[in-house]
Order: sequence, then C-alpha cells, then structure tokens
Amino acid sequence: MKLLRRMWTRVLNFAAGRSGEQRLREEMEEHVRMQMQENLRAGMTPVEARRQALIRWGATNAVREHYHAEMGLPVLETMLQDVQFATRMLRKSPVFTGVAMLTLALGIGANAAIFTLINALLLNNLPVADPKTLARLGNNNDCCVGIGYRDNGEVSYFSTDTYEYLRKNVPEFEDLAAMQAGFTYRPVVVRMEGSSDAPRSVMGEFVSGNYFRTFGLHAAAGRVLEDRDDIAGAPFTAVMSYETWQTRFNGDPAVVGSTLRVNTKPVTVVGIAPKGFYGDRLVATPPDYYLPIESMPPIASAPYVHNTPVQWLYIIGRVRPGTQWGVLQEKANTLLRHQLAATGRFSDKDGAERLRKIHIVLTPGGGGIQAMQEGYDRQLRMLMAASGLVLLIACANLANLLLVRGMSRKSEMNVRTALGAMRGRIVRQLLTESLLLAIVGGTAGLALAYAGTQMLLAMAFPGAESVPINANPSPAVLGFAFGLSLVTGVLFGVAPAWIASKATPADVLRGGPRSVAGGTTLLQSSLVVLQAGLSLVLLVCAGLFGKSLSKLEHIDLKLDPVNRYIVHINPQTAGYPQRQVGELYRTIEERFHALPGVEKVGITSYTPMEDNNNGWSVAIQGKPEQEHNPISSYLKVNAEYFDSVGTHVVQGRGILPTDTVSAPHVAVVNQEFVQHFFKPGENPIGQHFGGDVKSAGDWEIVGVVEDTAYESATLNDHMMYFVPTLQRPLSAAPDSIDQDENMYAGAIVLKTNRPVPDMEELARKTLAGINPNLSVVRFQTFSAQIADQFSQPRLLSRITALFGGLALMLATLGLYGVTAYGVARRTAEIGIRMALGAARTKVAAMVMRGAMVQALAGLVLGVPTAMLCTKYLSSQLYEIKSVDAWVLAGSVAVLTLAAAVAGWVPARRAASINPVQALRVE
Amino acid sequence: MGDKTDVMQGTLALMVLRTLDVLGPLHGWGIARRIEQISGDLLSVNQGTLYPLLLRLEQEGSIESDWGASEKNRRARFYKLTRSGRRQLHSEVQDWQQTTKIMARFLAARAEELQ
Repeated sequence: MKLLRRMWTRVLNFAAGRSGEQRLREEMEEHVRMQMQENLRAGMTPVEARRQALIRWGATNAVREHYHAEMGLPVLETMLQDVQFATRMLRKSPVFTGVAMLTLALGIGANAAIFTLINALLLNNLPVADPKTLARLGNNNDCCVGIGYRDNGEVSYFSTDTYEYLRKNVPEFEDLAAMQAGFTYRPVVVRMEGSSDAPRSVMGEFVSGNYFRTFGLHAAAGRVLEDRDDIAGAPFTAVMSYETWQTRFNGDPAVVGSTLRVNTKPVTVVGIAPKGFYGDRLVATPPDYYLPIESMPPIASAPYVHNTPVQWLYIIGRVRPGTQWGVLQEKANTLLRHQLAATGRFSDKDGAERLRKIHIVLTPGGGGIQAMQEGYDRQLRMLMAASGLVLLIACANLANLLLVRGMSRKSEMNVRTALGAMRGRIVRQLLTESLLLAIVGGTAGLALAYAGTQMLLAMAFPGAESVPINANPSPAVLGFAFGLSLVTGVLFGVAPAWIASKATPADVLRGGPRSVAGGTTLLQSSLVVLQAGLSLVLLVCAGLFGKSLSKLEHIDLKLDPVNRYIVHINPQTAGYPQRQVGELYRTIEERFHALPGVEKVGITSYTPMEDNNNGWSVAIQGKPEQEHNPISSYLKVNAEYFDSVGTHVVQGRGILPTDTVSAPHVAVVNQEFVQHFFKPGENPIGQHFGGDVKSAGDWEIVGVVEDTAYESATLNDHMMYFVPTLQRPLSAAPDSIDQDENMYAGAIVLKTNRPVPDMEELARKTLAGINPNLSVVRFQTFSAQIADQFSQPRLLSRITALFGGLALMLATLGLYGVTAYGVARRTAEIGIRMALGAARTKVAAMVMRGAMVQALAGLVLGVPTAMLCTKYLSSQLYEIKSVDAWVLAGSVAVLTLAAAVAGWVPARRAASINPVQALRVE
Repeated sequence: MGDKTDVMQGTLALMVLRTLDVLGPLHGWGIARRIEQISGDLLSVNQGTLYPLLLRLEQEGSIESDWGASEKNRRARFYKLTRSGRRQLHSEVQDWQQTTKIMARFLAARAEELQ
C-alpha cells in the first residue's frame, strides 16, 4: 500500500513537473540559520558559525540529489535527459546522422517490402477458416480443359464425373468442392438488368454449391451459394465478389436480389462474397462472380460439363479431423482408378499399365491453387536472398558508421570519466543515442516499406484494377528487420565506447589526439570491403537479368506488330449458335473494313503471344501409323489473317476467300510441321492429314508459312496448321457442329495504314452496332499484347536492378561515411603534413587512395563470387550460361566510379584544410 | 552505497518518528538536534540527509508537514506524526524490541546452550 501510494505521488510529481527545489532551498536556509544561531550562542564568530553550520549540513549537491530522487520518477527523468542530450549530439553531426538513418530506412524498408510481396505470392494462406485442414487433390497447375495425364501419372484436374464420384465415396472429406480450372480464359459478359451501361466482359468462375461452405466463408451481404443452387434446372444464382460490389456498385445493398444478365441469361445475385476473399488462387484478374457448375451448360454453353471424360475442375476439400493424409491419399487414388476403369477408356492392352500409374498427390490446400508459372517460386526465393544481402549491407554500413563515430569520441569519454561519470551512466547514454537512431531510422524504414510494397505490387500486377494481396507490410518482417538494426546499432554503438572508456583519463589530460591514430581499423576496412563485394554481386545479377530480358524481348517473333490492334471477342456469350457465325464473320469483315485506315481484318481462334493454345493430334495420309500421334496447334482463320499479323507465306498459298464451307477442305501448315512430318525435299503441298489414321483425309495442305511465336516467345518451335474459319474436318459428323466450340473466333486482328488512337472506341461501337451483346472482351495493340508476355522477366529485371542500385547506394554511403570520418579525425595529422610541405593534391590523393584500395579489395572479393552466383542463376536466365564480359566490366566500372565519388568529396575537404586551423584543433 | 543507505534510513526513520511522538510537532532542525543529543556522538550523520528522509516519510503518509512559526516568529516547516505514522511507529518498535530480544538471547547463549 505504501509502495503504491509512493508510486502514485511520484507520478503526480513528475507530471506536474514539481522538483521540490524551492521547498528544499527554503528549509535548508532555515535549518542552516538555526544551526548558525546555536553556533553563535556557543561563542563562534558569525563567519565561523555559518561555516560550521554548513559543514554540519553536509554536501548540498548530494542532499539535493537524494531529495530529488524521492520526488519524481528519476529513471524516467534521466532517460528523458539522455534522449535530449542524444538528440543534440546527433544533430551536431548531421552527416553521420543522415547517412545512418538513410541506411536504416533503406535496409529495413526495402526488405520489408520485398518480403511482404514474396510472402504474399509464395506462402500466403487464403483468408478462409482453418486453412490447415484444407487439402487439394493435385500438385500441378495444369490447365484448363483437356483429357490426359502427365507422363509420371500425376493428375491435377478432373472431370465432373470423377468429382462427383469422389465426393460421394470419400467420407473422410467433410466437404469436397470443385472449381473451374480455366475461368480466366473464359470470361462472361454481364449487364445489370435495367442498367443503361454496355455489357462488360468480366471474370466468372463456376464452382460447386458447397464451395463457400468448404472454405468456411460467410456472405458479406445476402447469402453464399448452397447445394440447392447447384442442381440442374434450379433458378440461376450468382455470388458477387466484395471488390466488384464496392468498386462497380458502391456497396449498394440493393444489388443483393437484383437480376444480372450473364451471357444474356437472367441470373439472381443472391449475395456478396466476404471482404478480402479473392478466390481460390492468386491471379491478376480474380473472379467477379461465382456461379454454380450446373448453370454452366445453359449460360456458358460449355460442352464438357456432363457426360464427358473431359477434365476441367480443380478439387479442394476439408479433411475431417483425425484423418491421416497418407491413408486418405491412398483411398482417393484407389477410388479414382476404380472410377476411371469403369469408363472403359483403359480397357486396351496397355490401358491397365497406364491406369496403374495414374495417381493424385494430396497437397495442402490452405494456400489455394498455386497458379503461378513453374519456377516462379524459385525466382522469388532468389529475390528474398537478394534482399537479405541488401539488409546485410545496410547493417554493415551502420556498424561501420557507429564504429568510426565511437572511435572519434574516445577523448570525449575520457573527459567524462575524469569528471566523475560512472561507466554505467556513460554506456546508458550511448545506448540511448543508438536506440534513438535506430528508432527514428526504423520509423522512416516503416514508411518506406509501405511505399515500397505498393510500388512492388504495381510492378508485379501491372494494369490490375485491384490487387488481390494485402498490401500492408508483414509485422513479422518489420519486426525482424527492425530488431536486426537495433541489435547492430546497440552493439556497434556501445561496444567501442565501452572499450574506450576503460582507458585511463590521464591520457586525455596529457594531450589531444595529435598522435596519429593510423586511419581506419581492420574491422572497418573489412566491413567496407564486404559491402563493396556484395554490391558488385548484386550489380552483376541485375546486369544479367537486364540482359536476359533484352534477349527475350529481341527474339525474332516473326511478327509485325506495327499499326496492329487486337480485339478479343466472344460470340458464344453474345448468344450466337455455331450455325450463325458465318454470317457474323462476314458482317465483321464488312463493318471493320469500313473504318478509316483499316487495311486488313483478320479473324482467328486466338492470336500470337496471348498465352493461348489449342492442340490436336496429327496423322499424315500415307505415312506409317505412330504409337502416339504428335500434337500440333491449330487455328481457324480467315483469308486476311496472315497479312493482319504479318506472317509470310513461303510456299504455296495462304487461305483465300474462296475457301468456303462447300469448297475442298484445305489447310496451311508452318515450317516446323513440314520439317517434322516430311523428309527434306519432299513436297508437302497436296498431301493430306487428319486427327488420326482413320481421318487422315480431312485436310489438304495448300501452303506453308513461317514459324511464328504463338504461345510465348520461348516456345516457338512447335507445329501449327491453319484452316478456314468455317470449314470443319471432313470426317466430322455434320450435326456435331452444334457442340463444336472451335467454330467461335476469339479475336479480330486489325491492320491499319496509320496509328489510330481511338481504335478501341471505334471497335466497341462497331461491334455494338452489329449486336449489343457483342462486347469487347479485351482490346490491346499488338505491341502491348506481346509486351505483356514479358511481364514476369521484366519484373525480375526491374527488381534486381532496384536491388543493385540500392546496394550500390548503400556501399557508396558506407565508403563515404568512413572516409569522411577518417579525414575529420586525421585533421591534425593532415595539418602537420601540410605544414611540413605536402601539396594539397598529395593529401587528396592519399585520401582517395585509401578509399580506392578498399573498393578494389571489394572487387577482388566480388568478382569470383559473382561468377559463382551466375552458375546458380543461369537456370533463371534466358540463354545466358556464364557471366557476360560486358556485364561484368560494366558493373566493375560503375562500382569504381561510385567509390571514386565517395572518396572524392572527403578528399576535396582534406585538400582544403587550413593547416593553421587544423593544428589548433585539440 | 546502496545497502548502507537503506539500513541507515530504516533506523533513522524510526528515530524521527519516535522523536516526533515524544516531542510533538517539530521543525527539521529541531529533529536533527534532538537525534544528535540522544544518540550522543555515536551517530554522526550529516544533518542535510535528514530532509530526503522527511520527504519520503511524508510521501508515505507517516508524517505531515505544514508551515508554522518558529522562535523569533520566523516561518519554518513543522512536521507532525499522523495516525498511521503512530501505528507504524508502534509496530516497528515492537519489531525492533523483538529483534533485540532474540539477538540478546543468541549472544548470551553462546557458551552454555550450543554444546
């Protein structure tokens, strides 16, 4: 009780700023006066009486201190005092403080930003309930609609039949949900009923009724999808994403229950998905709407939902607690094989062997479907390593700066000790300084981290309207970086002074630091050398990535993107049945030709460099049958297509307007096709081919075109054949046209004779003029579409360049700081040299030499390290096997230049020292 | 420095409280002189060190202070024992007497009982 009461009184005193000074002074005066009276009565002289009274009183200062210690909160007060003093000391050396804080801010900020981004891309869990009990059936990102398995038998996406079978027969899954694998390639066109806005092409993902329940998610408004929505014949329902609700509809609650026209069909919006849920995978275009799978055939006319073995679904399930994953995987595999065997597709000779190989790998589903390109995670881990290096450089920088500063204050510490300061008190004050520096620098780093994360996200998801990642820096990362800087600051701020304060104060009183304290210590030099070496490594890496990007971008794609525009369309969602597309294509050709400047109008299934591909097996008529017919990509194009993209015909002819439905079925193949199927010298023109031996008479080859990059820049040695838009294989049944999705063109390619800036608007109007439901799914210039394919290498190149620049800046700062302080401390020495006749240039050269030697040592360290790193990195780079001489030379040159600049400024200051003033400095 | 102060302050506090109990309200100098007189020259404490102690006791609530008139009508701060201070004094006196009784027994019983 007493203690509490005292504490409380102390706090009050502290808050009110009461120091008791006044009261003590008054009481002391009165006390001494009364003692003096007694002394006088005892017979002393007034002077003696007063003196004796004061002696009896004791040490005034000691009393005052003890008195004061009883009053406020002495600990807090001394801390405040320390902080005030520390601030003053830091302000007195602005260069040091500025450099130290900048280092801290950059080190912490950059690291926190990159770690957050990578964390989000690699390790993030979906914002769902209990992610640990979610399991995904499959371990690859195979996509999107097809039949088949990997060579090693792994299967990662499934048919509807398989999904329903597993769902019924594996009770170890509390819930098993299915989701469309390729929704990003199959947008839907939506328009709010009663709205005057044009229909828009958006992302719609088809999912099972228990999708939200499996993830344990509840609606932000209205309700989520339920099993009763996922029944054939049920009224069409959809769930809108929270993001769409906020940005498109301003969070209007009236949206729930309203009718949405999806691909012209009326759908009721029953609810909004929870905030922060961006679907089951990390993509730049998350779903705007979630619809039940059973509504897919009527709405999206997908022919692969029922009664086919076509695989198109990813499966994630919630595992019942207490279930062993290994056992569960085995059961799932057994059931899968059972179900596949029942389809009869594996009943041939080696079918049993193939069936045995097929298996599912159960993977943790808490992170959703990892939809990233393979090898992406390796690249991201490499980035993490790079950012770790930057942090290391920053810490070395800080350590060096503090060491130098500590050394320079040796005399100050000695004087303090001589004046009576206790070692603990000195250390505490230095600690406060280091802590203050670390805290302020760390706060700046925090701000930088936030800004940096935003910038990196913008780089990683270019053009995305909303980024499906939480953009706030992860507190764990911030804490780590902060903590590391704190430790470095404290260690290197206190240690040298601690050591220095051990020295006898008599040293100081004997004479100032006129004794040449020989330049920088080994520790400092090695720190700078380390920094320089690491910077070189990062610079070389940045250079290599830049070169790799440049090589990628300069691959001859054999395309001509100048004055070309690509308009992606979706006639299927606009409501066109297959039999009517011929009319549509003719109208499109007419209307677009009428636009000013348009020379060629190409119509095609898909375009080069849009990361799309459609493949079919090929067998040449008259050639021996093969075990597995090779797959060739194919497109349906109109006559003007080749000209519109800039592909040249090298043999025979291209597609002509006379290649109508009733004309002979013809095809144009590419050079790779010819090389693969025909012997050199053999003429492909006039030969026939088809999907297999039975249908080998489907198409007649009439021409050969150049090999052009289609799916991606690096994938350009693949076979292709092109057929007229309206022709179908001869062997195909006429009525099967109603299920043939290949009849639908995916894009219009426009070649103009000059740049048309408002082409997008014109295209939109033209299409709307043909049919208001025909909206522009996506519009890009050809150049932009090609450039998009390089977004990942470009991101990497930019980030590594950023790191290289950051590392260089930090190393330069470090070198500058150390050199500048060296000069400041050696002022007296320099003054002596000058007084003895040394030329100014010689002095400057001396300083420069010191700096350059350190940089050179760093280079010697860094070059072999960089070459080692290159070997490790070569897997990530395009056609770069070893360190390019130019890149290495360039990096060395840049680093040398930076070192020269870092050394030049202090050197100049050294040269301009006035010897008389220098010798006067104590 | 630490330990000595605590012990010193502990016993000094008791002396101050006892003095106030016996003599009634007194100013700082009066307390100091009284303690010096009673303890003779066995205790040589700087008079100034009394004041931090007085402040502490006052903050703890054992004594209270107020302005009063000393001889010759000068203004001085007078300290007085509070009720809780009196209680504290009595309990500490008991503790002290207990301690001395036990110590005396130990010091006396050295030869005989510890065979």
